[in-house]
Amino acid sequence: MTNLFSSFLDDYFAECDEHLMAIRQNLLFVEPYVNQPLLSRSILDKLFGSFHSIKGLSGMVGVNEAEQLAHEMESYLRALRDNKVVLTTEGLDALLSGTKILEEVITAYRIQNPAPDIVPICDRFRTIFTKPEAQEQEQEKSELQEKVELNLPGQSIPTVADTQPKAPKSLKLKPEESIQLAAALEKGNRAWQFEFLPGTEKAARGINVNTVRQRLQSIGQLIHAEPIALENGGIAFDFIVVSNADTDTFADWEKDGISYLPYSEQEIKSQQSTVNSQNEESENGRAGERESGGAEIKSQKSTVKSQKEERESGTTAESPRKAENLDNISPTPPLPHSPAPPLPFTVAPSNVVRVDLARLDELMQMVGELVITRSRLADNLNNLKTILPASHLRTLRETNLTLERQLRDLREGVMRVRMVPIGEIFVRMQFAIRDLVKETQKQVVLEVSGETTEIDKFIVERMMNPLLHLVRNAVSHGLEEQQERVRWGKSPQGKIALRATTVGEMVTIEVEDDGRGVNVEAVTSSAREQESIGADTTLSSETLLDLICASGFSTRKEADLTSGRGVGMTVVKNTVTELGGFLSLDTQVGRGTRFIIQLPLTLAIADALIVSVSGQTFAIPLSSVHEITQVPSADVTLYPTFANASVMGGEWGDKFFKPLRESKWENNEMIAHRGTVLPLIRLARIFNLENEIPGSDAEENLQPTLKKELNTQTNILQSINSQSLLNLVVVGNGFSAAAIVVDRILGQREIVVRPLTDPLVQVTGIAGATELGDGYAVLILDIIALTRAARIKN
Amino acid sequence: MSNEPFIIFELVGTKYAISSQMVQRMEMIEQITPVPNSPSFVEGVVFSRGQVIPAINLRVRFGFEKIRYDIRTRLIVIKANDRTVGLIADSAREFVVIPADAIQPPPEAICGLSDKYLTGIAISGEKLVLILNCEEVLKFSNNSLAAFGNS
Repeated sequence: MTNLFSSFLDDYFAECDEHLMAIRQNLLFVEPYVNQPLLSRSILDKLFGSFHSIKGLSGMVGVNEAEQLAHEMESYLRALRDNKVVLTTEGLDALLSGTKILEEVITAYRIQNPAPDIVPICDRFRTIFTKPEAQEQEQEKSELQEKVELNLPGQSIPTVADTQPKAPKSLKLKPEESIQLAAALEKGNRAWQFEFLPGTEKAARGINVNTVRQRLQSIGQLIHAEPIALENGGIAFDFIVVSNADTDTFADWEKDGISYLPYSEQEIKSQQSTVNSQNEESENGRAGERESGGAEIKSQKSTVKSQKEERESGTTAESPRKAENLDNISPTPPLPHSPAPPLPFTVAPSNVVRVDLARLDELMQMVGELVITRSRLADNLNNLKTILPASHLRTLRETNLTLERQLRDLREGVMRVRMVPIGEIFVRMQFAIRDLVKETQKQVVLEVSGETTEIDKFIVERMMNPLLHLVRNAVSHGLEEQQERVRWGKSPQGKIALRATTVGEMVTIEVEDDGRGVNVEAVTSSAREQESIGADTTLSSETLLDLICASGFSTRKEADLTSGRGVGMTVVKNTVTELGGFLSLDTQVGRGTRFIIQLPLTLAIADALIVSVSGQTFAIPLSSVHEITQVPSADVTLYPTFANASVMGGEWGDKFFKPLRESKWENNEMIAHRGTVLPLIRLARIFNLENEIPGSDAEENLQPTLKKELNTQTNILQSINSQSLLNLVVVGNGFSAAAIVVDRILGQREIVVRPLTDPLVQVTGIAGATELGDGYAVLILDIIALTRAARIKN
Repeated sequence: MSNEPFIIFELVGTKYAISSQMVQRMEMIEQITPVPNSPSFVEGVVFSRGQVIPAINLRVRFGFEKIRYDIRTRLIVIKANDRTVGLIADSAREFVVIPADAIQPPPEAICGLSDKYLTGIAISGEKLVLILNCEEVLKFSNNSLAAFGNS
């Protein structure tokens, strides 16, 4: 029984997560509609549905706070959907905070903490939408709109001037339409605004939007057409026609549901003024000027959004567009800012199966075993060479090859199942930026691209916090204050870009800002103060990154809410490295900063360089290998060891193990390579391996498969005479680069990575194990630990 | 605990028993990959059913001399407290049911730490069988290493 309930609970949390994700996504789409008379019905429906589901689920499980809060939010959304209230900035903020608190409530229940107080937020919702409608309208027209802290200039939404007798709907003309209109008016024509209310009865009489359009074109020039959603959920079409026809011509069209008004000069002027100026407030005394703002979310096309487009897309209804062929309507997408491709996680839940990641891990493991079994089969087939007739052998081998191909497909299939679109975390970034914009009073435009890029679920989860940190850094450190930006001749709006792409077996994620760039001077002087670099060292971008990521490093004198404690970047770097990825930095003073993260698509399978040292085989993750080279052993420089220059100081003090002889880890060899000094890592010494005398029987101990490989590999650096040449594998970068001395390089393999889970075999310098098809475990080197230990300290 | 089945293995001529609930499987010793800088009784790691597990040489663990593996050597894969490890024994072939009342607490006479590693002693077919406490065998601390590891 309890088990049943707990698995039910797991489902509850998972479903809530999904709904919350959808809510976050949809709230971002709603943002542009703030203070607009019309809201996208479909998005509201989705939001409403998500809250409704959370409410129901929470009720079943007994999370009362979540149920209650979801109920309040649902009620507000219903009011919005039924056009009882207009979405105000206040309302959107309440929805956003409500979502946050709702998430907190559910999380608190999950980890069995007391739930946060939901009374204040529930009260907020009640005050927002229990206002009587009159008051609501008062507010609509109030002269003094309270301004939001984060207003972007040039997003004014003209509302109806009070002086209009029969209020026409404010129409959004495209620039070219306004020009056409102005030109036509100069010729002495008059402008009329027609409104047509379609209906079934009229349609029966053959009066529909298309016939009305023809009628209008018969009396003059049709400048603009636009569908308008009505309060009652119906739809009307508004047209602007320039004509010199007499009003008698169309006065009796009223009976066909076509009303008309003179299109006011003033309206036209204001249209033009907003076309001509982007950042000018329109000034002609229209009441109720509204400002909406915040971080704009754009995707794919990074055009600078003009307020013109903003206002156009803001009031274009989507349904009639499909129903009626209004070819004059601008072909902009119906939804403002909606990402071009629909994200895969919005598929209908009916054909989605939720699977625990651990089960997929097991599946992956089984596939790995199959791969290994198959290579054993291949070995056995080779042993039959002498006995079997050639024809039989050939068919067996063909079967074996087919099997190999199918297994590869199977493995890829399982890997694909684990992949999720990275868009999931990008949405969270958008929220983080939104909050930061409020805190920092900066203006930010966010560009997102490649949100459909897929990556292993586990990696996505691990990257959430590091990415958040980079984004926060970009807003709080990277972007300058508005005035400063203007002084530098930049747009007052800062730009932050989040990008993801798949490049071969890696996923690249970029976080870029167009801010001030990393202050190399400040970093250098701080580093000199902390004596992490010499007094006259100049910094490469790699070293710069190393310094920024060093623990406790901050150029800030004081920490603030968002950053400045000097640990965040350390976490970023460590997480990326642990996941087998790379972090790099590209920065230009005054131009901006770009962090580039390269991650493997999946953790389970990686490319590795297989090497042998003293007869033992090791795998080095290829992602950390820089180059393979040979140097004369005479070039190795020994330097005296200092008694207390231990690099093992307590860091590795593991109660399970004998204290290591410090000298084993103490590095005293280095080599000059491409203008830098690399410490040498001698695995034979670190790992207490028998030192191999080349040509001895150590090679006999190599596994049969590897021996084969030895003979077949063509691109192997053979140690011709190890007395004079050392084979080096250069690993790591920047500060942590080092050279591993190996006897042989046996080749490159795709390996299935297995962690060493038991404390008995968790040792410094070994990251895990794999096998190369013969069932024999091969240890994978932990490059980070090895290079850290080898770092020369003096 | 009335009549529990046990796996019997041999180590230096002595019979030991492990509760069969703990035993996942028994394997021949194939290739063991040594893990550098691990405790001396850890022979290394092996792949077993897709998992990497440590192989513990019980002879070294209990302070006896190492011998070469032969055809009778067995790797007994046990699972205790969410850990899976392999124990290397000289041989392991028997499967017996020992009645609960045949198990006695380990006598005081056996000095030192060994009583910690035994849950009891049983007489099975004229032979003494030492019943192993797997949880304790897998627990390691510096003290036990000092006591058992022949460094």
